[in-house]
This record gives sequence, C-alpha cells and structure tokens, in this order.
Amino acid sequence: MIMKKRGKFLSVLAGLIFVGALAATASARELEPVVTTAWLEKNLDKVIVLDVRKVEEYRGGHIPGAVNVAYGSWAIKRGELLNELPADDDLRDVLGSAGIEPASKVVVVGKTATPADRVDATRVAWTLIYAGVSEVSLLSGGYDKWVADGKAVSTEAVRPRAKDYRGRFHKDLVVTKAAVAAALGKGVIVDVRERDFYEGKKKLPFVERLGHIKGAVSLPTSTMYEADGTYKAKDALAALAAAAVGADRDREIILYCDTGKFCTAWWFMMRELLGYKNVKVYDGSMMEWAKDPAAPMEP
Amino acid sequence: MDAGLLKDDVHFAGGCTPCHGGDDTQTDKDLAHRGKVKRPSEDLSLCGKCHGATAARYSKALHYTTAGFRHVVTKRMNHKEARDYNERVFEQSCRSCHATCGSCHVKAPAVGGISIGLIKGHRFVRRDEGKTCAFCHGGRVYPEYTGDYGGKADVHYQKGMMCMDCHSAGALHGDGRAYRFKEEVKGRPSCRDCHRPGNEERLTTRIAHLRHEGKVSCYGCHSAGEYRHCFECHEGGAQSKADFVLGLSPKNNRTVTTLRLVPTVRDSFKKQGVTMTHYDRLPNYWDAPVHNIRKRTDRTRSCEACHEEKRGFIVKERLIKNGSRSNAGVLYEPRPIPAKP
Ligand code: HEC
Ligand code: HEC
Ligand code: HEC
Ligand code: HEC
Ligand code: HEC
Ligand code: HEC
Ligand code: HEC
Ligand code: HEC
Repeated sequence: MIMKKRGKFLSVLAGLIFVGALAATASARELEPVVTTAWLEKNLDKVIVLDVRKVEEYRGGHIPGAVNVAYGSWAIKRGELLNELPADDDLRDVLGSAGIEPASKVVVVGKTATPADRVDATRVAWTLIYAGVSEVSLLSGGYDKWVADGKAVSTEAVRPRAKDYRGRFHKDLVVTKAAVAAALGKGVIVDVRERDFYEGKKKLPFVERLGHIKGAVSLPTSTMYEADGTYKAKDALAALAAAAVGADRDREIILYCDTGKFCTAWWFMMRELLGYKNVKVYDGSMMEWAKDPAAPMEP
Repeated sequence: MDAGLLKDDVHFAGGCTPCHGGDDTQTDKDLAHRGKVKRPSEDLSLCGKCHGATAARYSKALHYTTAGFRHVVTKRMNHKEARDYNERVFEQSCRSCHATCGSCHVKAPAVGGISIGLIKGHRFVRRDEGKTCAFCHGGRVYPEYTGDYGGKADVHYQKGMMCMDCHSAGALHGDGRAYRFKEEVKGRPSCRDCHRPGNEERLTTRIAHLRHEGKVSCYGCHSAGEYRHCFECHEGGAQSKADFVLGLSPKNNRTVTTLRLVPTVRDSFKKQGVTMTHYDRLPNYWDAPVHNIRKRTDRTRSCEACHEEKRGFIVKERLIKNGSRSNAGVLYEPRPIPAKP
C-alpha cells in the first residue's frame, strides 16, 4: 500500500517536470496536424493509427498496426440529438481500451468516399482533443487514399493493451445553445453546411426550420477537399478560413452544422492547422437550435 | 472473374455448368441472359455433393425452413386457419426470406430486391457478416449493434467482435433436428457463456448482479436504451419506431427483461382471408435480446431508475391499442428496495 502511494507521488512529480519541459519548447506539437500516406508509411512505429471504420471493414484490411474503434463508439444519440459526446467515464473507457493515453500521438483514419464518410475521422479527432489527447492528426485522404496509393494492408486484428485513461477534459471546446445565444452579435458564428442550406433553400428532415443562425457566416465543409478526398494545401485552407472569419486568431469562433459532426472538420483545421486559438463547436447545432422558436434565424 | 480463383479453387474445377447449368462454351458473366440457374444453392444437394453432412443438417435449420414464421404465429390460430395461413401466407411470402448456402457464402442476399452482388468476387467465403447477416438482419439487429441507428454501439462491437464471435456456425447450419422456433435451437449464445457475474471487485456491481439473479435479465440493466419495434404489420409492410420497454418475460413469467413489440396485429392476414381465433393466446410483446449492450446505462448508474422511477417499465396505458389480452401478463411494477431486516 505504502509502495503504491509513493509510486503515485513520484509519477506526479515526474509529470510536473515533464510539463515544464514541454512548456520550454515553443511549439509542443511534434506531429503535423495533417499527414500524408507517404509520411505515415514511414512513421507507423511512432504513432497510434486509430481506424474508425466499421469492424468488418477493418477486418477486411487496414493499415498495418492500426487499432480499430468504430465511429459508433465515439458519438452517441442523447435524447433527440444525434452525434453527442458519450459520458466522461464511458469516453475514458473507450480511449483506455484502445490503448490511448493523453500523451499518445494519434493519427485518425476513416473512409473518404462520401462527404459524410470524411467527417467521421474529424469528429473523432475533435473528441480525442476534447478528452485531453494532446497530439491528434488526420490522414489526408483516409484509408481510401492509402489503398489507392498502393500501400501495404494487413488483415491481422490488433488487440491494444488497455490503459487507464486519465486525461483532462477540455470542456470549453463545446458550447451550449445558451452560449451561442450569448455570442450573437459578438463572436463569429460559422455555418459549415452547403450553400443551399445556409441560404434557406433546403433542410434536413429533422431540422425544424430553414435558414441559418442569425448573423452566421458561411464556410461550407466541401470547400476544404480536393476531388480525391484529400485536404487542400495549408495556404488554400488559410485563405478560405480568413475570407469567412477574418485573420484575428484570438476572437471567439463558434462552428455549427446540422448535428455537430461536419463542423468538426473546419474546427480541426482552424485550431490545429491554422492557429485560431478560440474555436468551439456548437454540438447541438441546427437540430437543437431550429427547434426553439425563440432562437433567432435568418433569412 | 479472377483467373487465379478459377484455377486454384476446387469449386470451379468443373467450370460453371455443374452449378449454373447451360453450356460452358460462352464466358458471358450475365447468367440471366442465358436462362441459367441464378440461385444454384437453392438445391441443397448441389453443395451437398461435397458438403454432405452440412447440407443434410441445413435442410432442417431455421434459416432454411423459416419454421419460426410458421410455428409462432399459428399458435394464435385454429387448425383450419393455420392450414390457410401455411398455404396463403407462409408459402407465398415468408418462405422467400430463407437463406440458401449462397446467401452466407457467395452472394449478398437481396433485400427489397437490391443486392450488392457477390461477396468477394465469386469466392466461397467462410464468413463475412457485414455483407451477409447484416442485410437480412438489417432491420434491427445489425444497426442496433453497430450504432448505425444513431444509438450507442454495442460494447462488443466497440471491442471488435462480430456476429460469429458469439453465434456459432453449428447453430446456423443446424444439428439435423427440425426446430420449430429459435428458442429451441441448441448452441444459441448466452451472456453467461463468457461472463460469470457476481464476483466483481466493486461491491455495488456485485450486489447488482447477485440480488437480481433470475429476477432481471442482463438486458434489463445492460441494454443501452431504445431499440426498434415493428408494428402494424400487413403483408410484409410494417412501420417502425424506437422505444425502450421493460416487462415480465413471456417466456418464463418471472424475469424482468427488455421486450419487443411483435408486428402481428389482429387483422394482419385479413387480405389473405386468414383470421386468428386464438389471437389472445400470445401477447404482443416478446423477449428482446437487444444487441446494444453497454457496461453503463441509466439503469446501472441508478438503482432508483427501476425501484423508484420505474423507468421504461411498461404500464397498462402504454400497451398497444386493441392488443392481445395476454398483454396483461407482461406488466410488472418493481417495488422500492427493501429496507435491511
Ligand atoms: C466438388 C466438391 C465441392 C462442391 C460441389 C462444393 N464444395 Fe465447398 N468446398 C469443397 C472443398 C474440398 C473445400 C475445402 C477447401 C479447402 O479446404 O481449401 C470447400 C470449402 C468450402 C467453404 C469454406 C471456404 C473457406 O475459406 O474455408 C465454403 C464456405 C464452401 N465450400 C461452400 C460451398 C457451397 C456454398 C457450395 C455449394 C454452392 C459448395 N461449397 C460446393 C468442395 C466442394
Ligand atoms: C437470407 C437472409 C438471412 C441471412 C443471410 C442470415 N439470416 Fe439469420 N435469419 C433469417 C431469418 C428469415 C430468420 C428467422 C428464421 C425463423 O425463425 O424461422 C433468421 C434467424 C436467425 C437467428 C435466430 C434463429 C437461430 O437459428 O438461432 C439467428 C441467431 C440468426 N438468424 C443469425 C444470423 C447470422 C449470425 C447470420 C450471418 C452469418 C445470419 N443470420 C444470416 C435470415 C437470414
Ligand atoms: C445463415 C448463414 C449460413 C448459411 C445459410 C450456411 N452457412 Fe456455412 N457457415 C456459416 C458461417 C458463419 C461459417 C463460418 C464459421 C466460422 O468461421 O467460425 C460457415 C462455415 C461453413 C463451411 C466451412 C466450415 C465447415 O463447417 O466445414 C462450409 C464448408 C459451409 N459453411 C458450407 C455451407 C453449406 C454447404 C451450406 C448450405 C447447405 C451453408 N454453409 C449454409 C454460415 C452459413
Ligand atoms: C460450386 C457451385 C458454383 C460454381 C461452380 C459456380 N457458381 Fe456462380 N454461384 C454459385 C452460388 C451458390 C451463387 C449464389 C446464389 C445462390 O445463393 O445460390 C452463385 C452466383 C453467381 C452469380 C450471381 C448471380 C445473380 O444472382 O445475379 C454469377 C454471375 C455467377 N454465379 C457466375 C458464375 C460463373 C461465371 C461461374 C463459372 C466461372 C460460376 N458462377 C460457377 C455457385 C457456383
Ligand atoms: C456478444 C455476443 C453477440 C454478438 C456479437 C451477436 N449476438 Fe446475436 N445474440 C446473442 C445472444 C446472447 C442472443 C440471444 C439468444 C437467445 O437467448 O435466444 C442473440 C440473438 C440473436 C438473434 C435472435 C433475435 C431474437 O429476436 O430472438 C439474431 C437474429 C441475432 N442474434 C443476430 C446477430 C447478428 C446478425 C449479429 C452481428 C451483427 C449478432 N447477432 C451478434 C449474442 C450476440
Ligand atoms: C462470446 C463471448 C461473449 C458473449 C456471449 C458475451 N460477451 Fe460480453 N464481452 C465479451 C468480451 C470478450 C468483452 C470485452 C472484454 C474486455 O475487453 O475487457 C465483453 C465485454 C462486455 C461488457 C463490458 C465489460 C467492461 O468491462 O467494459 C459487458 C457489460 C458485457 N460484455 C455484457 C454482456 C452481456 C449482457 C452479454 C449477453 C447479451 C454478453 N456480454 C455476451 C465476450 C462475450
Ligand atoms: C440490476 C442490474 C444489473 C443486472 C441485471 C446485470 N448487471 Fe452487469 N452490471 C451492473 C452494474 C451496476 C455494473 C457496474 C457498472 C459500472 O462499473 O459502472 C455492471 C457491470 C457489469 C460488467 C462489467 C464488470 C466489471 O467488473 O466492471 C459485466 C461484464 C456485466 N455487468 C455483465 C452482466 C451480465 C452478463 C449480466 C446477466 C447475467 C448482468 N451483468 C446483469 C448491473 C447489472
Ligand atoms: C432494471 C431494473 C432494476 C435495477 C436497475 C435495479 N433493480 Fe433491484 N430489482 C429489480 C426487480 C424487478 C426486482 C425484483 C423484485 C422487485 O420487484 O422489487 C429487484 C429486486 C431487488 C432486491 C430484492 C432482492 C430480493 O431478494 O427480493 C434488492 C435488494 C434490489 N433489487 C436492490 C437493487 C440495488 C441495490 C440496485 C442498484 C445497484 C438495483 N436493485 C437496481 C429491478 C431493478
């Protein structure tokens, strides 16, 4: 018992020293936020590749060494709302059972065939960062690109060694409806849905009203991809973002879509790649906002 | 077709004709245009030439006989009605849902007339649940399991398990006995095959498990929440909704478990002129082994969810309208946790 206690104390001390070391180096990130298949192929031993495709797809073939936790374990339905965060303890279990720790370097890999496929990986990346994993990256083009580039695949399922996940959650990365209402006219609110939705010409069946949150600017998710599902180059993404939200890196920016999934793609690029420091996700998104008749919308 | 496959796989040693008929001088892949057999494994003796024991057993398996569609609902009928049902409903529509050997090993089954085609080229694959089981059981089991309905993925799926990690080929192929419905099938999986609850480290977990043995099923506490219910079934068409229902198991009348609405209603077979004299013999609810297991649910988090709030427990007012009189048997009202003596 005493041994155990001392061990814990020592590790806390070590943790403090470690944090100090990190702070001394200017940028803590070693892993590029977006990596290519060529880079990943050479660095497979340095990262945890997290494959979020379905179990059967993973079994059919995956990046060698990749661990699999399918998308459905990262985002759940809560009440009426789709794509919500699991409870903290459940999320810790999912992370721990995938062998992920706060200091892990994780590359998230999904499918990229359809626009909806592409944001599985970004929503999971956002969730990991929310849960306190410090270095999370995306594979540009996802598994589809890996295969198209003729890289090696494996059918051997990897059983990660379970860890006790103890990261600190960044609760401030998610905002509630009330916080969005309070930000109206102050922060920048970004609608990442396609133009027809932003302009109020179309809506999904579960969204009650046409239009967008009052004052929101438009930055459709589709603009960030090349035709093959890879991400556009950094300067192209920077120009798109700046045109929509300006260049001020400190201003509060709130992103939303229909269910809180698509908007994680621009969230990731803005915060991890382009250096915007105060970017948040409105998880309830249009599904929640449009239900409230008092929540202002336009046109 | 993959030339290597033709050369290396014993199944193609005699070309296409032994299975699809016709002549082999053409290599046209489109069988339909040559008037050949599209579903050769419909004839069990074909695969049976070499897989004799499996084919013989399979001829009696539920997946082939779909006897479950006959034996359960006919309990609601008298002899004549049951005979009419067998002729007019079962043979006409239910039988067509049966699985051929090819449905699990060669070609993804068509659902609603659409199939994604061969599972993997024309390989004779051992198992590929995502392209076989997933389609026929795509109404509830599969999407419940993966979380595709937007619910929560089953913890076993989270951990990388697929259907056949719990279900056995032995049970699917059958053991040569003609079971009438799934409850009779030997080798069905059970939670207790792999878990022996009752000696966990945490006291509350242990109490939860020991106090409810035989009183509450594993699903009662570990089903994540809402699952699909089909209702108002008429001629194969039914509506569906998500709901969470706890009540007394009609199977044993003593365990609280998750229940699912049975789609058969009083006038389900009216069009075909089949009535159900004994409709009220069976309830409209049946045990649901829901494939959405989680370690933590709102019930494992709170004893009060059941004992005080009675959350999810079906009450008289919530029973379907004009339902079976046996429905009263599934109602159960949990009591407050007894004070320590
Ligand atoms: C001419 C004999 C023959 C016929 C007819 C035949 N099989 Fe086979 N089958 C074999 C043999 C031999 C093997 C074992 C091959 C091996 O072990 O590599 C086999 C293996 C299999 C396997 C296992 C494949 C694996 O990867 O483990 C499946 C599934 C299968 N057969 C299905 C069928 C089905 C379905 C039919 C009917 C459409 C059929 N077979 C007809 C001879 C036959
Ligand atoms: C062609 C459609 C079809 C395919 C493919 C199929 N099933 Fe079924 N399955 C059915 C039908 C229809 C029944 C109901 C049979 C009955 O009750 O008479 C059933 C019943 C069952 C049952 C309960 C009865 C029993 O035998 O225990 C289980 C378990 C099951 N299926 C699992 C699976 C699994 C696992 C797979 C994939 C390996 C699969 N099924 C593939 C149509 C299919
Ligand atoms: C409902 C789905 C289903 C149907 C229908 C089915 N099988 Fe299978 N069969 C399986 C599964 C699943 C496995 C693999 C089990 C495993 O790998 O653990 C299997 C394994 C096999 C194998 C390889 C292992 C063994 O038992 O030798 C053969 C051969 C086979 N099946 C033949 C057949 C034949 C012949 C038929 C028709 C008479 C048939 N199966 C019908 C699901 C099915
Ligand atoms: C050992 C038996 C066997 C042999 C040999 C065989 N097939 Fe098949 N084939 C099947 C089975 C089984 C199915 C799936 C349908 C079913 O469930 O019976 C199938 C399905 C097909 C289908 C899909 C049919 C559809 O529904 O549209 C095509 C196309 C086909 N086979 C082509 C071929 C060709 C071409 C050859 C020769 C190179 C060949 N098959 C040889 C057993 C066989
Ligand atoms: C963790 C283990 C496990 C996994 C994984 C699993 N099942 Fe089951 N399944 C069970 C158990 C346990 C039962 C209940 C058996 C019983 O009591 O009759 C069951 C029952 C069923 C039934 C009968 C349903 C009913 O209403 O009675 C079907 C059909 C079925 N499973 C299909 C599947 C399919 C398809 C998959 C893959 C998508 C799958 N199962 C994965 C454990 C599992
Ligand atoms: C074929 C074996 C098998 C069957 C059948 C099975 N399980 Fe599991 N179950 C497992 C495995 C393996 C795990 C993962 C254990 C791990 O990773 O620590 C698991 C995990 C779980 C967990 C999560 C445990 C944790 O610590 O996170 C629960 C809860 C659970 N199962 C309940 C059930 C229930 C309820 C059933 C019946 C519906 C069932 N299981 C059927 C093998 C099985
Ligand atoms: C009365 C409610 C209840 C019932 C019934 C019940 N459980 Fe549990 N189970 C719990 C609770 C509470 C926990 C602890 C959850 C937590 O850690 O937060 C638990 C945890 C578990 C775990 C994880 C064990 C661990 O050490 O963390 C497994 C596996 C499990 N249950 C399996 C089963 C199986 C199998 C059955 C049916 C035989 C079953 N449970 C029935 C309430 C229940
Ligand atoms: C899924 C609903 C459910 C949950 C959750 C649940 N119970 Fe129960 N419990 C029951 C039912 C049903 C009975 C059977 C007797 C009754 O109706 O009260 C029962 C019986 C009991 C009994 C009496 C056992 C006996 O010998 O008569 C105790 C004690 C008990 N529960 C304690 C707890 C505790 C403590 C928890 C939380 C850890 C808990 N229950 C959670 C449904 C539940």
